Amino acid sequence: MSSLTPDQIKTLEQSRQRLVQLTHSLASLITSLNQSDPLPSWTSLQSQATIISNNLLTISDHLSDNRDLLATLVAYPSPSYPSRNPANTVALEQLLRTKLDPRVEDWVARGRKAAGAAGNGNGLDDLGALAELWDWAPVEANQEARRRNWGGNFTLEEREQGVGNVVTGLRRVLEDDDDDSESEEGESGEEEGEGEPDEMEIVGVRRKSGVGQGLEFDIAPVSATAASGPGHAGQQKVVAPVVPLDEILRFMTVGIMPSQR
Amino acid sequence: MHELLLFASVPAHQHHELLQQLAGLTAMQPRHRLERRLVFKAYRKPGLVTTRVGASQDVQGADLQRLNKMLNGGMYYTQVVGPVTKADFGATSLSAMSASHDADVSMSGTDQSSYCYENQPWKLEFRDIPEAGTRSAVTTRLMASASLPKGDIAVPMNAWGYSFVTEYMVEGDVFVQNDIVIFLHRVLLYPQAESQDLHGPRRQLPAYHELTPLERTGSYVLQAAITVQDGSNQEMMKTASQHLFGLREQLKSAVRLEQADRLSLDTRAK
Repeated sequence: MSSLTPDQIKTLEQSRQRLVQLTHSLASLITSLNQSDPLPSWTSLQSQATIISNNLLTISDHLSDNRDLLATLVAYPSPSYPSRNPANTVALEQLLRTKLDPRVEDWVARGRKAAGAAGNGNGLDDLGALAELWDWAPVEANQEARRRNWGGNFTLEEREQGVGNVVTGLRRVLEDDDDDSESEEGESGEEEGEGEPDEMEIVGVRRKSGVGQGLEFDIAPVSATAASGPGHAGQQKVVAPVVPLDEILRFMTVGIMPSQR
Repeated sequence: MHELLLFASVPAHQHHELLQQLAGLTAMQPRHRLERRLVFKAYRKPGLVTTRVGASQDVQGADLQRLNKMLNGGMYYTQVVGPVTKADFGATSLSAMSASHDADVSMSGTDQSSYCYENQPWKLEFRDIPEAGTRSAVTTRLMASASLPKGDIAVPMNAWGYSFVTEYMVEGDVFVQNDIVIFLHRVLLYPQAESQDLHGPRRQLPAYHELTPLERTGSYVLQAAITVQDGSNQEMMKTASQHLFGLREQLKSAVRLEQADRLSLDTRAK
């Protein structure tokens, strides 16, 4: 058994500090809930919740980053440890436990159950909702697109409020002209030549939007099925394992059914 | 002997893909494997045990001493493993054997259309609790296997001080890459509603489709194992875990191979 390197000690120390931070922020939330009357404002509650969730995030990042080290560490008392002192003995017993504290075990069980429920029910619901969204979105986007008159440099609202006021962020001057949009868009401009720009432009734009719609409509059902196909298949197939690996291994080793623990 | 292990959980939908990937990686077709596994638990101080399990003469020196200590010092769960084939399922047990024998070597004792419990070959697999405090991120444990007599194994096991706990079926595919044995498997449970007394192993196997996976979404467990003959050889152990880490890197984009929770592999009988 080798002793720890300074880096590893640093990792441990960091975990300790982060946990201390977490307990501090939790304690401050609890005291503010207990002591302030009336209850603290929701903004302060929310900021405290944000702090706590940030703390949790950093801790979980830290723990998963150093998983290899932390999973293989073993605590053992060195002979110089002052175990006579009752306060120290308590700490020692806590450190040398191989199982979780019964209270902590309850928490873990509750958390697992909640996670399982979330993974099971809501996860699937989410998938279903997602597939529904994918079914809905192409059609809806298409309908929305059909309502618009495409082309030109400015939106209708901008034109109504005065083109000069629009901040484009461009050096060159955008003209609210149809020539511009036509020449930019090439295809319609070339074909329609130089008849009456206004009329032509409008026709072009319309036809274009028509073409766009046609294309979109050709695509939409395909993309809808494409989107829904894997989505539905995924709904049936992508199911995360319910029983954790540990429990399976435990069953294989000693025959304890996963639910019995 | 020592065994170095890494595990990963494989969701059901990834199973087929992973089979393909492993077949590509190892350049071999999967070997399908079906095993009956019986879990036995030591029920009294095996100080009374006079028969040494299996061919322990083969194990030499320090390992022999350790193994003796393991077998006589503490009380452990052990597993008895018997290979079966799909043809064994749902067949009625015929004690009268027909002349036609299965070509499969491991199944040479079984008739093609029936499962004969009397001829089921068995293997004892002893696994110690994984070693604690190893710095490397692989599960390391002492192991020993030995062939057992064919047929009803509960009686000799009882005589050695082991009581039957439960049994299940393991279904999966084996790949071999260099010194790594990759076993992609899952646990199947027997149907519960049977009047048969559950104090001993089943004498007949139910139809295959009646078996239900322990993990009801049908997920698999990927196990990568290296067996090291001399566990005291640190150099060898290190090389073996390096090989496992190499495999972990290669499979990184597909699955995450990890060390197992030590206590979940705790074979000590309390």
